[in-house]
Amino acid sequence: MANLRIEHLNKRYGATTVLNDVNLSIGDGEFVVLVGPSGCGKSTLLRMIAGLDGASGGDIHIADKLVNTLAPAERGIAMVFQSYALYPHMNVRKNMTFGLKFTGVPPTERERRVAKAARMLRLEELLERYPRDLSGGQRQRVAIGRAIVREPAVFLFDEPLSNLDAALRVSTRVEIANLHRLLKSTIVYVTHDQVEAMTLADRIVVMNKGCIEQVGKPLDLYYEPANLFVAGFIGSPAMNFFEAEVGGIEGGRARVAGTAFRNFDMPAASLKVGDALTVGVRPEHLVRGGAGPFLAEGIVELVERLGEASFAYLRRVDGRIFVAEVRGRQTPAPGETVTLVAASPDVHVFDALGLRVAT
Amino acid sequence: MTTDQRARSIGVHLVLIAYSLLAVGPILLVVMNSFKVRSAIFGSPLAPPDASTFSLVGYEKVFRSSHILTYYSNSLIVTLVSMALVLLFGAMAAWALTEYRFRGSTALALFLSIGIMVPIRLGSVAILNMMRSAGLNDTLTALVLVYVAQGLPMSIFILSEFIQQIPKDLRDAARCDGVPETRIFFEVVAPLLRPAIATVAVFTIVPIWNDLWFPLILTSSDSTHTVTLGVQQFLGQYITDWNSVLAALSMAILPVVVIYVILSRQLIAGLTSGAVK
Amino acid sequence: MPEPLSNITVQMPRAKLAGLLLFFLGPAVAIYSLFSIYPLVATMALSTYTSDPSGARSFVGLANFETLLGDALWSKPFWNALGNNLIFFAVHMCVQNPIGIALAGLLSLPGVRLKGFYRTVMFLPTMLSVVIVGFSWNLILSPLWGVAAGALKAVGLGSLFAPWLGLESSALVTLSLMSVWQFVGIPMMLIYAALLNIPEELIDAARVDGLGQFRIFFHIKLPLVLPTISLVSVLTFVANFNAFDLIYSVKGALAGPNFTTDILGTFFYRTFFGNQLQLGNPTMGAAVATVMFFIILLGLCLYLFLVQRRIRRYAF
Ligand SMILES: Nc1ncnc2c1ncn2[C@@H]1O[C@H](COP(=O)(O)OP(=O)(O)OP(=O)(O)O)[C@@H](O)[C@H]1O
Ligand SMILES: [Mg+2]
Repeated sequence: MANLRIEHLNKRYGATTVLNDVNLSIGDGEFVVLVGPSGCGKSTLLRMIAGLDGASGGDIHIADKLVNTLAPAERGIAMVFQSYALYPHMNVRKNMTFGLKFTGVPPTERERRVAKAARMLRLEELLERYPRDLSGGQRQRVAIGRAIVREPAVFLFDEPLSNLDAALRVSTRVEIANLHRLLKSTIVYVTHDQVEAMTLADRIVVMNKGCIEQVGKPLDLYYEPANLFVAGFIGSPAMNFFEAEVGGIEGGRARVAGTAFRNFDMPAASLKVGDALTVGVRPEHLVRGGAGPFLAEGIVELVERLGEASFAYLRRVDGRIFVAEVRGRQTPAPGETVTLVAASPDVHVFDALGLRVAT
Repeated sequence: MTTDQRARSIGVHLVLIAYSLLAVGPILLVVMNSFKVRSAIFGSPLAPPDASTFSLVGYEKVFRSSHILTYYSNSLIVTLVSMALVLLFGAMAAWALTEYRFRGSTALALFLSIGIMVPIRLGSVAILNMMRSAGLNDTLTALVLVYVAQGLPMSIFILSEFIQQIPKDLRDAARCDGVPETRIFFEVVAPLLRPAIATVAVFTIVPIWNDLWFPLILTSSDSTHTVTLGVQQFLGQYITDWNSVLAALSMAILPVVVIYVILSRQLIAGLTSGAVK
Repeated sequence: MPEPLSNITVQMPRAKLAGLLLFFLGPAVAIYSLFSIYPLVATMALSTYTSDPSGARSFVGLANFETLLGDALWSKPFWNALGNNLIFFAVHMCVQNPIGIALAGLLSLPGVRLKGFYRTVMFLPTMLSVVIVGFSWNLILSPLWGVAAGALKAVGLGSLFAPWLGLESSALVTLSLMSVWQFVGIPMMLIYAALLNIPEELIDAARVDGLGQFRIFFHIKLPLVLPTISLVSVLTFVANFNAFDLIYSVKGALAGPNFTTDILGTFFYRTFFGNQLQLGNPTMGAAVATVMFFIILLGLCLYLFLVQRRIRRYAF
């Protein structure tokens, strides 16, 4: 168990920059999830922590020790791969002990660790089987078991659940959460899946194009996204955005004016008249007939019914589409004009650079 | 199936059967007649041997007047040792070239691929000189060295393709596990290369077993001849003794055919696998 | 060769990387350089020397090549061998490859049963030694045994029979056809493998468009396997200009009758080792080998720059 510190990390392949000045500090026992669009450098960052890829610049510290030049095995990490990467020609027991042989763990200790991990992951019955005779979920557990027996300071997971079907994904997710509670180890976890990120993480790191956009607790990212990218990335369906500008300033209050919603006021702070703004409201925060500063009208184009909620796709006055969540059995009919309102904490305003402005 | 389709299917099979007969007919003919008395060889060449025409006189003659068993064991030794070394050194080199990033790797790969296209035979003059000055001429060692050099480029090429198909995560997992690089190769990668052996065998081992050129220029005594050369010389010597000639040919053909039929599925799968796309 | 798969060497200490490379590449590179590349280079170097009867060697520059191409005593057999070699190659291209393509096409038709059996049988001759194949055909075609003559007579073509291998006019073509018979398996297999790689849906789409199997083969499958066909052609070229075993085992080093079956391989062997008519001459042999090397190189370059570039590869 250990902390992890990444300072000014850079990675370039020829002229393309894959990671650009990444700084991140992870505490002992923390569960950190990396999310971001495909190709943003999540796997690259993970592989650099593991020592599988070299850095073009910057430092990585694990347990306060600089590990830049250490081989993967010397860094005290264990990695679980998306493809599981089980050795196909070794049975489950051999898969788990193979690595220990080379790190000087005596045989009795190896057996003890395998027995313990097998108990934890319900693998006892499977120890003599070969990977080809295991189901996807079982393989996944073996891959995790292989990481556990190394007793690493830091666990690295690269999309470990993405090859599992939906039901198995949920149960394995719960298992990983339990495991973290039990082992109290530091975990860095890459995923595409927002639900995984929100449910598992102590803190989420949102990455985009090789840079970290925001680091924070799951609900902080959801309720107070630091910028347009994070606002649009976290949450599903994505946040609605409306173009706006500062229409006027009066008594410390700025008037937010736009064509597709009713103007409203907010603290002026450093805003100036004429500044371009973007107003963001999540579909689930738009309600019919509530009270709040934000009000928009739209004509229903289409309604998607999911059961627990429905999503209405509405055409705004300026012709663009926005989405609102509708609860209950009574959904609006296409062609109907609907007025939607959002309460003050749920209205996000971003400046011309895309940065959050306090409302 | 419509009659039209049936007619076409029959036509296809007729062509394939005809060509199959053309392919095995001559081999069958030689093997069959090697078991017959001389008069039957000439009297009814197309008839299989029966009780009255069966004879092993040719085989007796071959055993008596040639060192056929020595030839077999020489061929076996040369082929097996060459195969082992071609596979081992070829896989090791293929691993380093496909896995590791280092300066000059592309140039080295190009250098190694010269031998795929340029026949090593063209260097025979110098090879013979080298072997003579090293005291290796007329030894099986000389043959093995030349065959390994000859087989390596193609086997490196083929094995590289196979190594690339082994998932990248597998080696990375081993690295995270603390497995040393050499062990990663021998204990994780090499066991997974088993399917490649058949492909390498077709392209490098079969030519070694069948080669006439290098035994001809590098070996001069009976004790170092291979089957191909030994039988070739025997045939030249006993050209008029049809029983012996047919028996000698059959003895060269039969082991290859038996091994081929046993392994043909793997060999053909190896040949048609991704390696030679 | 594509990009290396791993970046693990990037942060590896230099000495460790050097050790690893030496361990993995050392044996292969050493054996290959010593017994394949060095002899090639040494042979080329030797071709610029001449040796007197005492065995002493002296540098003569390109004189050996002048002799080989200019002195009638050498140039006549050389051009004869080169010409014969071209015929040998032409027969392979015109007979072996079309038959191989046709067989592969038949085998890849949908619903043909016993494919495995046919493939195994048709590839069998390729596994045998050229020496054995040559000699077996030699017996079969021999008028003494009369198998070929009898077979022709049985189908009413008895008058066509001639001792083909013995006649100046037909010996070379007969030998070429024997070689074709043996090696048809290679184009068949490689093209068959390429045909198998064509996605099923593509063929289905063509059938839905109303094309028959014959048209599908010529208009869809064949263009898609052109890269393989050209690869097979190069392989054939290299093998043919390097051939020796067949002629030597059927006709001996003198490539009779009257040198009509002499190809570069046998010419090289005679020059190098000598025979009943002349003494072996290693330096001239080296010159012949060097010329063969350049002929093969020329063929490869033509392929790489003229054929390979024009052929479009399709990704499925
Ligand atoms: N060897 C390489 N050479 C050049 N570019 C590379 C190399 N490896 C990765 N990249 C680039 O680095 C970027 C980041 O890749 P990475 O695999 O880290 O993305 P990711 O965030 O894990 O994406 P995904 O979610 O799809 O797994 C990609 O744009 C990729 O094209
Ligand atoms: Mg990734």
